[in-house]
Amino acid sequence: MPPYTNYHAQRSYPMPDEPFCTELNAEQRALKEKEKGSWTQLTHDEKVALYRLQFHETFAEMNRRSNEWKTVMGCVFFFFGFTALMIWWQRIYVFPKKPVTLTDEWKAQQLQRILDMKGNPVQGLASRWDYEKKEWKK
Amino acid sequence: MAYPFQLGFQDATSPIMEELLHFHDHTLMIVFLISSLVLYIISLMLTTKLTHTSTMDAQEVETIWTILPAIILILIALPSLRILYMMDEINSPSLTVKTMGHQWYWSYEYTDSEDLSFDSYMIPTQELKPGELRLLEVDNRVVLPMEVTIRVLISSEDVLHSWAVPSLGLKTDAIPGRLNQTTLMGTRPGLYYGQCSEICGSNHSFMPIVLELVPLAYFEKWSASML
Repeated sequence: MPPYTNYHAQRSYPMPDEPFCTELNAEQRALKEKEKGSWTQLTHDEKVALYRLQFHETFAEMNRRSNEWKTVMGCVFFFFGFTALMIWWQRIYVFPKKPVTLTDEWKAQQLQRILDMKGNPVQGLASRWDYEKKEWKK
Repeated sequence: MAYPFQLGFQDATSPIMEELLHFHDHTLMIVFLISSLVLYIISLMLTTKLTHTSTMDAQEVETIWTILPAIILILIALPSLRILYMMDEINSPSLTVKTMGHQWYWSYEYTDSEDLSFDSYMIPTQELKPGELRLLEVDNRVVLPMEVTIRVLISSEDVLHSWAVPSLGLKTDAIPGRLNQTTLMGTRPGLYYGQCSEICGSNHSFMPIVLELVPLAYFEKWSASML
């Protein structure tokens, strides 16, 4: 169940069972003996040394930010641009001519026809047209 | 018909479609609530530094998130079943129209008093008159009297098709060798468009349906003129 060791600090496993340093030199072993006594006898540097023996990184080091996001966003935007290039090329060289019903003139005549036949008069298109004033409702 | 920047359904032209609109509002509201709750919880999960790795059980919350969805589903199912049964009510139609699906057009038969039948082909884009709707107009529309309950019998002469008119809340499959029935009751005069809704070959997208709902007197004049 617990992961291997303290080799890489993990936020989700803050207190591993195995200490980071398992091979201790004489000086470090002496320090571990001193740790068995009262901790008020330890100096600040000794406490830091013991912490470094037990853990790979401090919380601050483990949680540090990185510059990975810049690489990721850069690649994302690059592919946006590439896709945009592909779409633009396709519009010019691949797509057929638009049908005549998409010209402004036809669309205006179509809209007039739909308003004349009162299409969707409850909450849709014709409901937004003022038939007395012959303009869109404000 | 559909209009630009439309977000919801087309306006209802029949009482059943009105019911369906309201039911959709009700269900979509529930769906939005659940989705925003889930999205909020996901965002909480992704923006916390706290961890907890020793969860053993969660009996209370598991009970809640089983019972509550069951209640929500019942709240959706009851109105749904109500409308389902409403569609099948006995309503004594005054007129019967038969429609047969073909590859790739619809044919209509009004045989209550005389033998009236005709085919309804889509008007090609080149032959549209200015202002007509591309891929939706037909040469012979289905003229029907408004505010009258009409029985529509739907079948097919070749492959599967589906006769659909969204603003009336109608969609019924046209199955060869089978006769399906649906009920039509239009409350407003006008033109109502629909398209074939079951893949049926290369021109499946080009066999629309146009209903022309008119007062009874106009309907009688039209059916006399079509004979």
